[in-house]
Amino acid sequence: MKDKPWFAVAYMFVITVFFSTVLIGFARLTQDRVIANEQVMFERAVLESFPEIDVPPTPQVNQRFSELFKKSDDAAGAFVYLKDGQIAGYAVPLEGKGFWAPIRGVVGVSKDLTTILGISFYDQNETPGLGARITEADFREQFEGLTVGKIERPIGIRPPSVSPADNEVHAISGATQTCVRLEVLINEALSAWLEAMNGREVDDE
Amino acid sequence: MSKAPRDIMLDGLWRDNPIFRQILGICSTLAVTNVVLNTAVMCVSLTVVTMMSCLTVSLLRDWTPRNIRMMVQTLIIAFYVIIVDLILKAYWPEMSRNLGPFVGLIITNCIVMGRCEAFAGSNPPGPAVLDGMFNGLGYSFILLAIAVLRELLGMGTILGFEIPYFATPYWDKWIIMVMPPGGFFVLASILWVCRSIGAKEVKK
Repeated sequence: MKDKPWFAVAYMFVITVFFSTVLIGFARLTQDRVIANEQVMFERAVLESFPEIDVPPTPQVNQRFSELFKKSDDAAGAFVYLKDGQIAGYAVPLEGKGFWAPIRGVVGVSKDLTTILGISFYDQNETPGLGARITEADFREQFEGLTVGKIERPIGIRPPSVSPADNEVHAISGATQTCVRLEVLINEALSAWLEAMNGREVDDE
Repeated sequence: MSKAPRDIMLDGLWRDNPIFRQILGICSTLAVTNVVLNTAVMCVSLTVVTMMSCLTVSLLRDWTPRNIRMMVQTLIIAFYVIIVDLILKAYWPEMSRNLGPFVGLIITNCIVMGRCEAFAGSNPPGPAVLDGMFNGLGYSFILLAIAVLRELLGMGTILGFEIPYFATPYWDKWIIMVMPPGGFFVLASILWVCRSIGAKEVKK
Protein backbone atom coordinates (compact mmCIF):
# COMPACT_ATOMS: atom_id res chain seq x y z
CA MET A 1 0.00 0.00 0.00
CA LYS A 2 2.84 2.36 0.89
CA ASP A 3 4.23 2.16 -2.65
CA LYS A 4 1.00 3.14 -4.39
CA PRO A 5 1.10 6.65 -5.84
CA TRP A 6 -2.23 7.59 -4.28
CA PHE A 7 -0.90 6.74 -0.84
CA ALA A 8 1.67 9.53 -0.92
CA VAL A 9 -0.99 12.04 -1.90
CA ALA A 10 -3.46 10.84 0.71
CA TYR A 11 -0.74 10.74 3.38
CA MET A 12 0.41 14.27 2.66
CA PHE A 13 -3.18 15.46 2.67
CA VAL A 14 -4.00 13.88 6.01
CA ILE A 15 -0.82 15.10 7.63
CA THR A 16 -1.27 18.65 6.36
CA VAL A 17 -4.86 18.78 7.56
CA PHE A 18 -3.86 17.49 10.97
CA PHE A 19 -0.98 19.89 11.60
CA SER A 20 -2.80 22.87 10.12
CA THR A 21 -5.81 22.26 12.31
CA VAL A 22 -3.70 22.16 15.45
CA LEU A 23 -1.88 25.33 14.37
CA ILE A 24 -5.05 27.24 13.59
CA GLY A 25 -6.44 26.26 16.96
CA PHE A 26 -3.29 27.39 18.70
CA ALA A 27 -3.19 30.68 16.81
CA ARG A 28 -6.80 31.34 17.79
CA LEU A 29 -5.96 30.69 21.43
CA THR A 30 -3.10 33.17 21.49
CA GLN A 31 -4.59 35.73 19.10
CA ASP A 32 -6.19 37.94 21.73
CA ARG A 33 -3.00 38.07 23.75
CA VAL A 34 -0.91 38.96 20.72
CA ILE A 35 -3.21 41.82 19.76
CA ALA A 36 -3.42 43.03 23.36
CA ASN A 37 0.37 42.96 23.65
CA GLU A 38 0.75 45.20 20.62
CA GLN A 39 -1.82 47.62 21.95
CA VAL A 40 -0.12 47.78 25.36
CA MET A 41 3.26 48.49 23.73
CA PHE A 42 1.78 51.50 22.03
CA GLU A 43 -0.07 52.70 25.11
CA ARG A 44 3.08 52.37 27.20
CA ALA A 45 4.97 54.46 24.65
CA VAL A 46 2.28 57.15 24.81
CA LEU A 47 2.60 57.28 28.62
CA GLU A 48 6.39 57.36 28.38
CA SER A 49 6.33 60.29 26.00
CA PHE A 50 5.19 62.47 28.91
CA PRO A 51 7.97 62.25 31.52
CA GLU A 52 5.70 63.60 34.29
CA ILE A 53 3.52 60.49 34.08
CA ASP A 54 4.56 57.53 36.24
CA VAL A 55 4.35 54.53 33.96
CA PRO A 56 2.71 51.64 35.85
CA PRO A 57 3.64 47.96 35.43
CA THR A 58 2.32 46.32 32.27
CA PRO A 59 -1.03 45.01 33.64
CA GLN A 60 -2.15 48.56 34.58
CA VAL A 61 -0.88 50.34 31.48
CA ASN A 62 -4.18 50.06 29.64
CA GLN A 63 -6.17 51.48 32.54
CA ARG A 64 -3.80 54.43 33.09
CA PHE A 65 -3.77 55.12 29.38
CA SER A 66 -7.54 55.31 29.13
CA GLU A 67 -7.71 57.57 32.21
CA LEU A 68 -5.28 60.11 30.80
CA PHE A 69 -5.62 60.00 27.04
CA LYS A 70 -8.41 60.24 24.57
CA LYS A 71 -8.51 60.05 20.84
CA SER A 72 -9.97 63.22 19.37
CA ASP A 73 -10.89 63.94 15.78
CA ASP A 74 -9.82 67.52 16.42
CA ALA A 75 -6.28 66.49 17.30
CA ALA A 76 -5.39 65.35 13.78
CA GLY A 77 -4.56 61.77 14.65
CA ALA A 78 -2.83 62.57 17.94
CA PHE A 79 -4.00 61.49 21.37
CA VAL A 80 -5.04 64.26 23.75
CA TYR A 81 -3.41 64.21 27.19
CA LEU A 82 -5.93 65.27 29.84
CA LYS A 83 -4.85 66.38 33.28
CA ASP A 84 -7.77 67.10 35.66
CA GLY A 85 -10.05 67.42 32.65
CA GLN A 86 -7.81 70.03 31.04
CA ILE A 87 -5.77 69.48 27.90
CA ALA A 88 -2.14 69.23 28.95
CA GLY A 89 -0.57 68.11 25.70
CA TYR A 90 -0.72 65.86 22.68
CA ALA A 91 0.83 62.46 21.97
CA VAL A 92 1.76 62.36 18.30
CA PRO A 93 2.48 58.91 16.78
CA LEU A 94 5.65 58.59 14.71
CA GLU A 95 6.41 56.04 12.06
CA GLY A 96 9.08 55.73 9.41
CA LYS A 97 12.12 53.97 8.09
CA GLY A 98 15.02 53.27 10.42
CA PHE A 99 18.39 51.92 9.35
CA TRP A 100 17.37 48.25 9.46
CA ALA A 101 13.64 48.23 10.05
CA PRO A 102 10.76 50.64 10.67
CA ILE A 103 10.92 52.79 13.79
CA ARG A 104 7.65 53.57 15.55
CA GLY A 105 7.27 55.88 18.49
CA VAL A 106 5.36 58.69 20.10
CA VAL A 107 6.34 62.28 20.72
CA GLY A 108 4.70 64.33 23.45
CA VAL A 109 3.97 67.95 22.50
CA SER A 110 2.82 70.71 24.86
CA LYS A 111 -0.69 72.14 24.66
CA ASP A 112 0.46 75.32 22.92
CA LEU A 113 2.41 73.26 20.33
CA THR A 114 5.67 75.09 21.09
CA THR A 115 7.54 72.57 23.22
CA ILE A 116 8.46 68.89 22.95
CA LEU A 117 7.73 67.25 26.30
CA GLY A 118 9.23 63.85 25.64
CA ILE A 119 9.70 61.02 23.18
CA SER A 120 9.55 57.25 23.28
CA PHE A 121 9.84 54.34 20.88
CA TYR A 122 7.92 51.09 20.90
CA ASP A 123 9.14 49.42 17.77
CA GLN A 124 12.65 49.49 16.38
CA ASN A 125 15.28 47.02 15.30
CA GLU A 126 18.38 49.17 15.11
CA THR A 127 21.86 47.83 15.84
CA PRO A 128 22.08 46.83 19.53
CA GLY A 129 24.51 49.06 21.36
CA LEU A 130 24.40 51.73 18.65
CA GLY A 131 21.17 52.75 16.91
CA ALA A 132 19.10 50.85 19.46
CA ARG A 133 20.30 53.34 22.07
CA ILE A 134 17.63 55.75 20.84
CA THR A 135 15.40 53.91 23.33
CA GLU A 136 17.71 54.69 26.26
CA ALA A 137 16.94 57.45 28.73
CA ASP A 138 20.18 59.37 27.98
CA PHE A 139 19.14 59.96 24.41
CA ARG A 140 15.42 60.44 24.97
CA GLU A 141 15.85 62.90 27.84
CA GLN A 142 17.52 65.35 25.48
CA PHE A 143 14.15 65.90 23.83
CA GLU A 144 12.45 67.04 27.02
CA GLY A 145 11.78 70.75 26.84
CA LEU A 146 12.99 71.18 23.29
CA THR A 147 11.51 74.20 21.51
CA VAL A 148 9.61 73.25 18.38
CA GLY A 149 11.39 74.96 15.47
CA LYS A 150 10.07 76.13 12.14
CA ILE A 151 7.36 73.99 10.63
CA GLU A 152 9.69 72.72 7.87
CA ARG A 153 12.18 71.43 10.44
CA PRO A 154 10.64 71.21 13.90
CA ILE A 155 13.61 69.42 15.47
CA GLY A 156 17.17 68.51 14.55
CA ILE A 157 19.63 65.78 15.50
CA ARG A 158 23.20 67.07 15.22
CA PRO A 159 26.60 65.40 15.56
CA PRO A 160 28.03 65.50 19.08
CA SER A 161 30.77 67.90 17.91
CA VAL A 162 28.24 70.67 17.13
CA SER A 163 26.60 72.57 19.96
CA PRO A 164 22.84 72.14 19.51
CA ALA A 165 20.32 74.96 19.03
CA ASP A 166 17.07 75.24 21.01
CA ASN A 167 15.36 72.66 18.85
CA GLU A 168 18.27 70.27 18.47
CA VAL A 169 19.68 67.25 20.25
CA HIS A 170 22.96 65.39 19.99
CA ALA A 171 23.12 62.27 17.83
CA ILE A 172 24.51 58.97 19.11
CA SER A 173 28.08 58.54 17.98
CA GLY A 174 28.44 55.49 15.79
CA ALA A 175 24.76 55.53 14.88
CA THR A 176 24.75 58.27 12.24
CA GLN A 177 22.43 56.44 9.85
CA THR A 178 19.83 55.75 12.52
CA CYS A 179 19.93 59.37 13.67
CA VAL A 180 19.64 60.80 10.16
CA ARG A 181 16.59 58.66 9.47
CA LEU A 182 15.14 59.39 12.89
CA GLU A 183 15.38 63.13 12.30
CA VAL A 184 13.57 62.72 8.99
CA LEU A 185 10.78 60.61 10.40
CA ILE A 186 10.19 62.80 13.44
CA ASN A 187 10.14 65.93 11.31
CA GLU A 188 7.82 64.43 8.72
CA ALA A 189 5.35 63.41 11.38
CA LEU A 190 5.59 66.67 13.30
CA SER A 191 5.38 68.94 10.26
CA ALA A 192 2.33 67.16 8.93
CA TRP A 193 0.68 67.18 12.30
CA LEU A 194 1.46 70.85 13.06
CA GLU A 195 0.18 71.78 9.63
CA ALA A 196 -3.06 69.93 10.33
CA MET A 197 -3.36 71.43 13.81
CA ASN A 198 -2.79 75.00 12.68
CA GLY A 199 -5.52 77.23 13.96
CA ARG A 200 -7.47 74.38 15.53
CA GLU A 201 -8.75 74.36 19.07
CA VAL A 202 -9.62 71.14 20.82
CA ASP A 203 -12.42 71.02 23.34
CA ASP A 204 -11.50 70.08 26.86
CA GLU A 205 -14.53 67.81 27.07
CA MET B 1 22.87 0.82 12.84
CA SER B 2 21.95 1.59 16.42
CA LYS B 3 24.18 3.99 18.29
CA ALA B 4 24.88 4.02 22.01
CA PRO B 5 23.29 6.98 23.84
CA ARG B 6 26.76 8.08 24.93
CA ASP B 7 27.90 8.27 21.34
CA ILE B 8 24.79 10.18 20.32
CA MET B 9 25.47 12.77 23.02
CA LEU B 10 29.18 13.13 22.30
CA ASP B 11 28.61 13.36 18.57
CA GLY B 12 26.04 16.12 18.96
CA LEU B 13 28.06 18.08 21.47
CA TRP B 14 31.54 17.72 20.09
CA ARG B 15 32.60 15.10 17.55
CA ASP B 16 29.96 16.03 15.00
CA ASN B 17 29.10 19.44 16.41
CA PRO B 18 26.70 21.11 14.00
CA ILE B 19 28.53 24.44 14.09
CA PHE B 20 32.24 23.77 14.03
CA ARG B 21 32.23 20.31 12.40
CA GLN B 22 29.32 20.45 10.00
CA ILE B 23 29.16 24.26 9.62
CA LEU B 24 25.36 24.20 9.69
CA GLY B 25 23.02 26.89 10.93
CA ILE B 26 25.59 29.61 10.41
CA CYS B 27 23.14 32.38 9.44
CA SER B 28 21.48 32.40 12.81
CA THR B 29 24.87 31.99 14.48
CA LEU B 30 25.96 35.25 12.94
CA ALA B 31 22.66 37.06 13.30
CA VAL B 32 21.49 36.53 16.86
CA THR B 33 24.73 36.43 18.81
CA ASN B 34 25.25 40.11 19.54
CA VAL B 35 23.44 40.03 22.89
CA VAL B 36 23.54 37.01 25.24
CA LEU B 37 19.85 37.06 26.23
CA ASN B 38 18.61 36.94 22.63
CA THR B 39 21.03 34.13 21.92
CA ALA B 40 19.86 32.11 24.89
CA VAL B 41 16.22 32.32 23.79
CA MET B 42 17.18 31.42 20.24
CA CYS B 43 19.14 28.39 21.49
CA VAL B 44 16.24 27.15 23.61
CA SER B 45 13.85 27.61 20.67
CA LEU B 46 16.10 25.74 18.28
CA THR B 47 16.74 22.90 20.72
CA VAL B 48 13.03 22.46 21.40
CA VAL B 49 12.16 22.55 17.71
CA THR B 50 14.88 20.05 16.84
CA MET B 51 13.85 17.65 19.60
CA MET B 52 10.16 17.77 18.80
CA SER B 53 10.69 17.52 15.04
CA CYS B 54 13.01 14.53 15.46
CA LEU B 55 10.43 12.89 17.71
CA THR B 56 7.60 13.40 15.24
CA VAL B 57 9.63 12.38 12.21
CA SER B 58 10.76 9.28 14.04
CA LEU B 59 7.22 8.35 15.10
CA LEU B 60 5.98 8.67 11.52
CA ARG B 61 9.02 7.00 9.93
CA ASP B 62 7.31 3.68 9.17
CA TRP B 63 4.38 5.37 7.46
CA THR B 64 6.05 8.15 5.51
CA PRO B 65 6.67 7.23 1.86
CA ARG B 66 10.32 7.83 1.01
CA ASN B 67 9.67 10.02 -2.00
CA ILE B 68 7.73 12.65 -0.05
CA ARG B 69 9.68 12.48 3.22
CA MET B 70 11.30 15.90 2.76
CA MET B 71 7.92 17.56 2.32
CA VAL B 72 6.66 15.90 5.45
CA GLN B 73 9.75 16.93 7.41
CA THR B 74 9.43 20.54 6.29
CA LEU B 75 5.80 20.54 7.32
CA ILE B 76 6.60 19.13 10.75
CA ILE B 77 9.46 21.56 11.35
CA ALA B 78 7.35 24.53 10.23
CA PHE B 79 4.61 23.40 12.57
CA TYR B 80 6.86 23.49 15.64
CA VAL B 81 8.57 26.72 14.61
CA ILE B 82 5.24 28.51 14.24
CA ILE B 83 4.17 27.24 17.66
CA VAL B 84 7.38 28.57 19.26
CA ASP B 85 6.93 31.87 17.42
CA LEU B 86 3.34 32.21 18.62
CA ILE B 87 4.30 31.42 22.22
CA LEU B 88 6.96 34.13 22.13
CA LYS B 89 4.60 36.63 20.53
CA ALA B 90 1.91 35.97 23.10
CA TYR B 91 3.94 35.65 26.29
CA TRP B 92 7.23 37.45 25.66
CA PRO B 93 6.53 40.11 23.04
CA GLU B 94 9.72 42.10 23.71
CA MET B 95 11.86 39.06 22.99
CA SER B 96 9.80 38.19 19.95
CA ARG B 97 10.60 41.59 18.50
CA ASN B 98 14.29 41.43 19.43
CA LEU B 99 14.65 38.20 17.52
CA GLY B 100 12.67 39.61 14.62
CA PRO B 101 12.44 37.16 11.73
CA PHE B 102 15.02 34.73 13.09
CA VAL B 103 12.59 32.56 15.03
CA GLY B 104 10.64 31.98 11.83
CA LEU B 105 13.88 31.26 10.03
CA ILE B 106 14.55 28.24 12.27
CA ILE B 107 12.49 26.44 9.62
CA THR B 108 15.38 26.86 7.22
CA ASN B 109 18.03 26.00 9.79
CA CYS B 110 19.94 23.10 8.30
CA ILE B 111 20.53 21.52 11.69
CA VAL B 112 16.87 20.68 12.20
CA MET B 113 16.27 19.12 8.81
CA GLY B 114 19.74 17.59 8.83
CA ARG B 115 19.00 15.66 12.02
CA CYS B 116 15.52 14.63 10.85
CA GLU B 117 16.92 13.33 7.59
CA ALA B 118 20.16 11.80 8.86
CA PHE B 119 19.01 10.30 12.11
CA ALA B 120 15.35 10.58 13.14
CA GLY B 121 14.03 9.15 9.85
CA SER B 122 15.72 5.82 10.48
CA ASN B 123 15.84 5.50 14.26
CA PRO B 124 13.31 4.89 17.05
CA PRO B 125 11.85 7.89 18.93
CA GLY B 126 14.03 7.66 22.07
CA PRO B 127 17.41 7.95 20.39
CA ALA B 128 15.95 10.45 17.90
CA VAL B 129 14.93 12.85 20.69
CA LEU B 130 18.31 12.43 22.36
CA ASP B 131 20.06 13.14 19.08
CA GLY B 132 17.95 16.23 18.44
CA MET B 133 18.52 17.50 21.95
CA PHE B 134 22.28 17.09 21.93
CA ASN B 135 22.66 18.62 18.50
CA GLY B 136 20.64 21.55 19.81
CA LEU B 137 22.91 21.76 22.83
CA GLY B 138 26.00 21.52 20.65
CA TYR B 139 24.68 24.47 18.66
CA SER B 140 23.74 26.33 21.84
CA PHE B 141 27.05 26.21 23.64
CA ILE B 142 28.98 27.52 20.65
CA LEU B 143 26.43 30.30 20.13
CA LEU B 144 26.52 31.30 23.77
CA ALA B 145 30.32 31.39 23.70
CA ILE B 146 30.18 33.70 20.68
CA ALA B 147 27.50 35.88 22.27
CA VAL B 148 29.36 36.27 25.56
CA LEU B 149 32.49 37.41 23.74
CA ARG B 150 30.61 39.78 21.46
CA GLU B 151 28.51 41.38 24.16
CA LEU B 152 31.46 41.68 26.55
CA LEU B 153 33.88 43.20 24.06
CA GLY B 154 31.28 45.29 22.25
CA MET B 155 29.13 46.60 25.07
CA GLY B 156 31.01 45.76 28.29
CA THR B 157 28.06 43.79 29.64
CA ILE B 158 26.88 40.19 29.92
CA LEU B 159 23.12 39.61 29.97
CA GLY B 160 22.86 43.37 30.41
CA PHE B 161 24.89 43.40 33.64
CA GLU B 162 27.91 45.66 33.61
CA ILE B 163 31.16 43.75 33.94
CA PRO B 164 33.96 45.34 36.01
CA TYR B 165 36.63 46.92 33.84
CA PHE B 166 34.83 46.24 30.54
CA ALA B 167 31.98 48.62 31.40
CA THR B 168 34.33 51.40 32.55
CA PRO B 169 35.91 54.05 30.34
CA TYR B 170 39.24 52.17 30.58
CA TRP B 171 37.84 49.67 28.13
CA ASP B 172 37.43 51.20 24.71
CA LYS B 173 34.33 49.34 23.50
CA TRP B 174 34.86 47.38 20.29
CA ILE B 175 31.63 48.53 18.72
CA ILE B 176 32.29 46.42 15.63
CA MET B 177 31.77 43.32 17.79
CA VAL B 178 28.03 43.93 18.15
CA MET B 179 27.69 44.76 14.47
CA PRO B 180 27.46 42.06 11.80
CA PRO B 181 31.22 41.87 11.03
CA GLY B 182 31.90 41.03 14.68
CA GLY B 183 29.92 37.82 14.23
CA PHE B 184 32.26 36.67 11.48
CA PHE B 185 35.42 37.44 13.48
CA VAL B 186 34.28 35.66 16.62
CA LEU B 187 32.77 32.70 14.79
CA ALA B 188 35.97 32.20 12.83
CA SER B 189 38.11 32.41 15.97
CA ILE B 190 35.92 29.89 17.78
CA LEU B 191 35.95 27.51 14.79
CA TRP B 192 39.72 27.76 14.79
CA VAL B 193 40.05 27.02 18.51
CA CYS B 194 37.57 24.14 18.50
CA ARG B 195 39.01 22.56 15.39
CA SER B 196 42.54 22.81 16.76
CA ILE B 197 41.46 20.95 19.88
CA GLY B 198 39.60 18.44 17.68
CA ALA B 199 42.69 17.90 15.51
CA LYS B 200 44.76 16.95 18.54
CA GLU B 201 42.18 14.37 19.59
CA VAL B 202 42.24 12.77 16.17
CA LYS B 203 46.05 12.45 16.25
CA LYS B 204 45.87 10.61 19.55
